[in-house]
Amino acid sequence: MTNQVKVSIRHLYKIFGDDPATAMEAVRQGTSKADLLENQNHVLGLRDINVDIRETEITVIMGLSGSGKSTLIRHFNRLIEPTAGEVCLDGENILEWDEARLRQMRRETMSMVFQKFALLPHRTVLDNAGLALATRGRKRKEYEAEAERWLERVGLGGLGGQFPHQLSGGMQQRVGIARALTSNAPIMLMDEAFSALDPLIRTDMQDLLIELQAELRKTIVFITHDLDEALKLADHLVILNDGAVVQQGEPQHILLNPADAYIADFVADINRARVLRARSVMRTDPVDGEIAGEIDHNDNLESVIEKAEGALSPRFRVMRDGKPVGTLLMSDIMRALVPRKTDHAA
Amino acid sequence: MATYDGVFDALGLRTWCDASSNDGPMSMADLMAETGSDDASAASLRDLPFPSLDALHEACGAIPQTRDLTLGLEQGFLAIRDGLRIVIDPLTQPLSWMLSDMIWMMTSTPWWIVIPVLLLLSFLVARSWKVVGFVAATLGLLAFIDHYEPAMETLAIIFVCAFICVLFGVPIGIAMSRSDRMQRIGIPILDMLQTLPPFVYLIPLIFLFSVTEPKLYGIAIILYAIVPVIRLTDLGIRLVDQSVVEAADAFGMTSRQKLFGVQIPLALPNIMAGVNQTIMMSLAMVVIASLVSAPGLGVLVLRGIRNLELGVGLVAGFGIVMIAILLDRVTKAALARVDASQSSR
Repeated sequence: MTNQVKVSIRHLYKIFGDDPATAMEAVRQGTSKADLLENQNHVLGLRDINVDIRETEITVIMGLSGSGKSTLIRHFNRLIEPTAGEVCLDGENILEWDEARLRQMRRETMSMVFQKFALLPHRTVLDNAGLALATRGRKRKEYEAEAERWLERVGLGGLGGQFPHQLSGGMQQRVGIARALTSNAPIMLMDEAFSALDPLIRTDMQDLLIELQAELRKTIVFITHDLDEALKLADHLVILNDGAVVQQGEPQHILLNPADAYIADFVADINRARVLRARSVMRTDPVDGEIAGEIDHNDNLESVIEKAEGALSPRFRVMRDGKPVGTLLMSDIMRALVPRKTDHAA
Repeated sequence: MATYDGVFDALGLRTWCDASSNDGPMSMADLMAETGSDDASAASLRDLPFPSLDALHEACGAIPQTRDLTLGLEQGFLAIRDGLRIVIDPLTQPLSWMLSDMIWMMTSTPWWIVIPVLLLLSFLVARSWKVVGFVAATLGLLAFIDHYEPAMETLAIIFVCAFICVLFGVPIGIAMSRSDRMQRIGIPILDMLQTLPPFVYLIPLIFLFSVTEPKLYGIAIILYAIVPVIRLTDLGIRLVDQSVVEAADAFGMTSRQKLFGVQIPLALPNIMAGVNQTIMMSLAMVVIASLVSAPGLGVLVLRGIRNLELGVGLVAGFGIVMIAILLDRVTKAALARVDASQSSR
């Protein structure tokens, strides 16, 4: 379950303003964001961010608008320079790299998908999909087959000759994803990739991403402001508020153990029965009593309740890869469905 | 006694004033003042003159008159003229050759070659038969009323000048879009070029070159007409969707790839609008430039004014309008074609 750390962000600060260095000193000495804006007219964008991105996982960075999530993702490929801190790719600090090395990394190691698609309007869909390869100096003939293959894979086969404006928003973003995949980079940065799409198309795209990920095992950093989307996609969830990480960890864990009132509020409106899974609620210590049936560890609570037909007494054996790993009690399910109120006092 | 005598006396500058007093030749105003009745000594506050150079000169001879200022400017210009000529003359000589060759080519080639070539050219640029038909009708009409040759001369001058404007204007515009400092320096110069009355361009040029040289009007036209193409190239590149530029960065494009692969293609509608404006402004200037021997329809307009030949002037003016519409339609059609391929924005 614990994969190699691919990208690691250490003590990252970003301050916007004319003289970030001086402001940085003040922040280190404990000036708050509001004071910094009031007294020095600098905006504290990100404050002491520490995040590990693990290989082949989807790390979702979630926060409301203004929380600094889009700023944060642009530090991964240095589209924005941090004021202080480190960004390490496979253990190397990319902030020490020169222009050429950085460019090579952007071409071959990290690809990006944008909220507003950001396709080149004057080039065909095929040329857009092959952009990364064309940028590396490949001829059209060489990247054509590769681009065509990925367009096919995201469901746009045969549309290569169209121009982006002839496609719908959802299709344009499929081109955006094909463009990122064609570059064959192991890391994919997705900046609110689905936020500009209709809810139905958004669900489609999420399913497409999950499907692609099962096959390709990329390292994905996904930015969103939508908690449902975050919970659906995340292997590792990072919640950002006001430029600082409030809580990070396994989404199920965050849902059951919110770190503070902000997170508790945040997750209060979620359909917990659909999001929580048997493995997060089950008991691993042996429980006596009759077993009513077997369920998979990844089943959500909704399906378990359905299986129990509303009865409160049955117990289920939780199975993982054919072996029992724990027991699930209906009373625990009921308890898990109610958000914890105690934390509100904090 | 002059009004400001007291001021200089009070400051103790009287001796300095009188010592270096040099009364130049008497000006008309002086003469008028002297011959006028001399009972204006009842100085009231109402008649207090503004302390201008002339008024102060009256009180103190050491202060120069305003006419010395203009004279000094003229002498200064004449002093550097020869040096300037040595530099500018060879630099601009190709312009003279281009202009005279182009005029020669378009007027001495038989009409039945020139007109089809122009039609083909407008088709290549506009890709629209309607526009080509309009061009054919316009040229046919101008030729029918025997204005073919001046029209061709005017077109030749515009082709050469607009070409040079684009050749220099687009790179300057690109440079301005890439550096804020370049833009800060460039914009006031462009503002000046644009607001300077067209006739003023001609004044220093007449002193620099002989009036018979084509480059004289060529430079005046280029200086006047280059402004919009620079401005709109700069603006166009700055207006390119930043998210697309960011994507280009994120995929590791070099700044060269970004410029030629993203920024210029996306700024093309704006650049084309600049080219259209540049052509229109060269046409406006080519008429004024006929004052300094630019051939073409402007000469006929000038003749209409000079000799009060109403008909000649009006018909030539009408011809200029026809050519203006023709050039505008062709370049607008090209602009629309570029726009259509990126209508997503």
